[in-house]
Amino acid sequence: MNDLQNALLAGQFRYILPEIVLAVAATGIFIGGTFRSGRYLWSWAALGSLVASLFVLTITAGFVLPSGEAGRTATFSTPLLFDSLANFVRVLAIVAGILLVLFSWNEVPDRHAADYLACLLVIIGGVGLTACANDLVSLYLALELISIPTYILLYLPRHDDAAQEAALKYFLLSIFSSALLLFGFSYLYGLTGTTNIAAILHTLYGQGGGDMPAVAQIALITVVAGLGFRITAAPFHFYAPDVYQGAPTVGAALLASLPKLAGFIALLRVLGFVTPDGVLVPVAGRPHVLPGMALSDQVPILFWFLAAFTMSLGNLLAVLQDNLKRLLAYSSVAHAGYMLVALAAAPYLSERSSGSDGVHALLYYLVAYGVMTIGAFAVIAFLSTPERPVDNVEDLAGLSGSHPYVALMLAVFMFSLIGMPLTAGFTGKFLIFFGAMNVVGEQADLYRWLAVIGMLNAAVGGWYYLRIIAVMYLRTALRPIQGRRNVPGLVTLIVCAVLTIGLSIPPGANVLLDAVKNATGIKSTPSPIAQR
Amino acid sequence: MEFEHYLLHVLLALPLVGAIVVALQGPKRQTAVRRISLGVSLVIAFCSFILAGRFMALERPWTAPQKPTERISTTFQPEFVPGLKSTALHDAGTDWDLIPLGAGTVQFYLGVDGINLFLIVLTAVLFPPCVLISWNQVHERVNEFYAWLLALQTCVLGVFMAFDIVLFYVFFELSLVPLFFLIGIWGGPERRYAARKFFVYTLTGSLLTLLGIMGVVLAVYSRTHVLTFSIPELVVLVNQQLAIQDSESRAYWLSIQMVVFSLLVAGFAVKVPLVPFHTWLPLAHVEAPTAGSVDLAGLLLKIGVYGFLRLCIPLTPDVSLAWGLPLVTVLAVIGIIYGAFCAYAQDDVKKLIAYSSISHLGLCMAAVYSLTATGLAGGLFQMVNHGLSTGLLFLLIGMLYERYHTRMLQDYSGMATRLPLFGFCLMFAVLSSVGLPGLNGFVGEALCFFGIMEEETTYGGGPFFAVVALSGMVLGAWYLITMVRRLLFGPLKEPHHDGPAIPDMEPREWATFLPLAALCLLLGLYPHPFLATSQPDVDRLAHLADAARQRQQQDVQARR
Repeated sequence: MNDLQNALLAGQFRYILPEIVLAVAATGIFIGGTFRSGRYLWSWAALGSLVASLFVLTITAGFVLPSGEAGRTATFSTPLLFDSLANFVRVLAIVAGILLVLFSWNEVPDRHAADYLACLLVIIGGVGLTACANDLVSLYLALELISIPTYILLYLPRHDDAAQEAALKYFLLSIFSSALLLFGFSYLYGLTGTTNIAAILHTLYGQGGGDMPAVAQIALITVVAGLGFRITAAPFHFYAPDVYQGAPTVGAALLASLPKLAGFIALLRVLGFVTPDGVLVPVAGRPHVLPGMALSDQVPILFWFLAAFTMSLGNLLAVLQDNLKRLLAYSSVAHAGYMLVALAAAPYLSERSSGSDGVHALLYYLVAYGVMTIGAFAVIAFLSTPERPVDNVEDLAGLSGSHPYVALMLAVFMFSLIGMPLTAGFTGKFLIFFGAMNVVGEQADLYRWLAVIGMLNAAVGGWYYLRIIAVMYLRTALRPIQGRRNVPGLVTLIVCAVLTIGLSIPPGANVLLDAVKNATGIKSTPSPIAQR
Repeated sequence: MEFEHYLLHVLLALPLVGAIVVALQGPKRQTAVRRISLGVSLVIAFCSFILAGRFMALERPWTAPQKPTERISTTFQPEFVPGLKSTALHDAGTDWDLIPLGAGTVQFYLGVDGINLFLIVLTAVLFPPCVLISWNQVHERVNEFYAWLLALQTCVLGVFMAFDIVLFYVFFELSLVPLFFLIGIWGGPERRYAARKFFVYTLTGSLLTLLGIMGVVLAVYSRTHVLTFSIPELVVLVNQQLAIQDSESRAYWLSIQMVVFSLLVAGFAVKVPLVPFHTWLPLAHVEAPTAGSVDLAGLLLKIGVYGFLRLCIPLTPDVSLAWGLPLVTVLAVIGIIYGAFCAYAQDDVKKLIAYSSISHLGLCMAAVYSLTATGLAGGLFQMVNHGLSTGLLFLLIGMLYERYHTRMLQDYSGMATRLPLFGFCLMFAVLSSVGLPGLNGFVGEALCFFGIMEEETTYGGGPFFAVVALSGMVLGAWYLITMVRRLLFGPLKEPHHDGPAIPDMEPREWATFLPLAALCLLLGLYPHPFLATSQPDVDRLAHLADAARQRQQQDVQARR
């Protein structure tokens, strides 16, 4: 046993090299920051380490697991699993990290720059590890690796009441959600006697799903509640508006994107929406269980209600907002709702190859959502100056006159958030609702109604996103926005805008769709044992 | 590939390129911007005429299919399709793939047939007047104005040309964006509210339409295992499935059609607009700049009717017949009467014409939903008519507003003595709109009535609806002639204005008026080429409806 553990650890180190690079860089920056301050220095360092990490990832990824018994044994014993989904998410996280570093280039004060950037690197590493986690313990640790630096990030830059409230609120609720998650994990352990996710799923699927004991339901609900906090699903979204408003803009952008990515990937893994090879081996005499329904066949209905509630609440409350960051916070809740639609439909779509499996749609939407939301926050940060902050929707008045190209890009992000064609938001919504409409059988009508609810929500979304466009283009400024020279900020904006459009039309759309498909077809499972 | 195949690219790309060029000119170079826009729109109009000429020269006979599964006769046969013919199911596909989705592919599938040809021409013809009428009306952000105008033309042409259902939707939805900016930036005092209401109202409907589109694609997929987004192919497959005499399949397709129909109608009914969904229209019209009103009335409303023709009827024939016919006809007839009375009550001329649009489009929809060959042809003809005559009315009111800065009827009286040539033009447009024999409106309205009369429903509603619709047309003459009387005749009362005497029609204004007026006259005196060209495709639609009628009768007999 000890040998095996040693072997595992020794083998695993090679594969988490990208995360190790990030961790080492973060440590270096933490320590270095005590000697030298200066945001440019540390921004370059962070950027360099992210690029290095991406480079290492491209080298270490791409090993192929030999199929068969050896591969399965490995899957059932390793704490981390390096499948194509993991690699996809790690690339996403690193790219998001690069965007966020560029974004914060001129936003973070010199004094805090080193700490801020080091925390960011740790968070990126945490997201990467979450994607690889194949064990409840490593999953929990990876999630905490995202949470703990976030507390520092939120507390660091400002010490006014709003910032303190935001940090404290996030801290307390985050701890609460972690506790809920652990509680759920303990039930999972109790049910199956193991903490390895692949083994847990294997055991659960082996039992046939339908006749699960009641504790499975408790585990399901607490896990979903714990992770619901990270994906801002209603009713676990209460912190979002206050925290986004109180946090610095770049912090809000980070909170809106990375924890959501991690939360959804964790849901995919723990609930068995994606399963490593060998888990779904049909057991003789047992009914066939659909993916995602390992714990209970109530999973789709749970997500159905969660999705309907989350998107309706998010959109309706967003209509009432004047503050831009609060508006984007509720919009983030609403978009979590759309993504939950994909999860609700996913179990029924696994056998219908119409091109929009629920998990594909979810992954595509996560990318689209990340690009357009980071872009929208980047615009706010780009335009804000201490003398002329851009807090409220009204502050954007007349932007098309003073900054025509920035206004155009914000309009692109807003149209994408509405879901207009030729933007990633449209393609994402199309895939998600195509999936929901694709459910057949008894549930078909249920999902058609969910799609109708979703579309009505998108229309409500049209009202408040359009308000921002209307303010920029249809009104003149009371106090013109000055803006300042900020090349990295502009680069972030341009990259996000190009991706928002580029990912919706060929060839960008095809590339992303292929990547998403490869990510869920979990074929390549490099594992330490198999390599040895 | 012959050069016709490039015409569609040119038509679609030219306005877009023009828009970009114009936008990059900057707001200072106003004259250059206007000239470029005019040049581009004239070239587009010219191309559309070539397209029409080439298309009308084609031999496109249509014979009723012997079997319901016969392909060529049951579905649309687009011509001049760019790309290679590669789709196996029918001989007019394309290989221009955009995004693969599972087994299917969203394609860049454009084409022309008898249904969309004249709408494409109408789109191309209406734009040079729009450019000309805005010449002196728009002074702020001129480059943006013309850029949005040209972008709008691309979107509208795209909707009409698309034969891929997703491509259709993409253009359908994108057409909202330019119009939002046109209304919101260059509109009247309530422009911001009007623009947002217009956008969100239409967005709500069209998002539901998207679900309907997905629904039909997926229903076909689940029954035939063919995932296709090509409209002709979907029509063939749906109607093949409908022809299956099997109670389970029949029940499935009835329920699917019900779902798809209600979702599609949600979007198209807002766009047309049918009566309970019309509230965005008067507001948007009144606030829009003249060019925006012309496009809105002339083209955007047609997209709704076109959606019924292209998607609703062929893809859900049974439910269109069983539910759509009574429902849409009743709503349309209510719209005819309601629109007419509302129009009569207006003091604002633009609002009057906006309500008259509701009334005219009601007639159009009632004719289309008679689901007879005559009615469909009449509805199609009336779409083009309405685009021309209402476009003319909006243009003329725009000219009047440009002179006096008021559109209120009580401010005017006896203007015929002051502006006699303008008076003649307005009279011409009004007569074309009310359907004077010899002008285009008469032919269209007559066909519509015959269509509604022919309507064979199980409860014999046709003649009744025809009578109501006819009374609506009498009302139409009543309010439009009343408007003309108050505006042009009686004692002279000119609104207060500063500066030199107001001139009558200028050369630029003649250039906006004459081409459209000539088309009105042409269509009124010699409609035959138009009707003959659209005949085969209208017959296809009517055939699909007839097949649905037979199925309905079989069902009724089976129940007995």
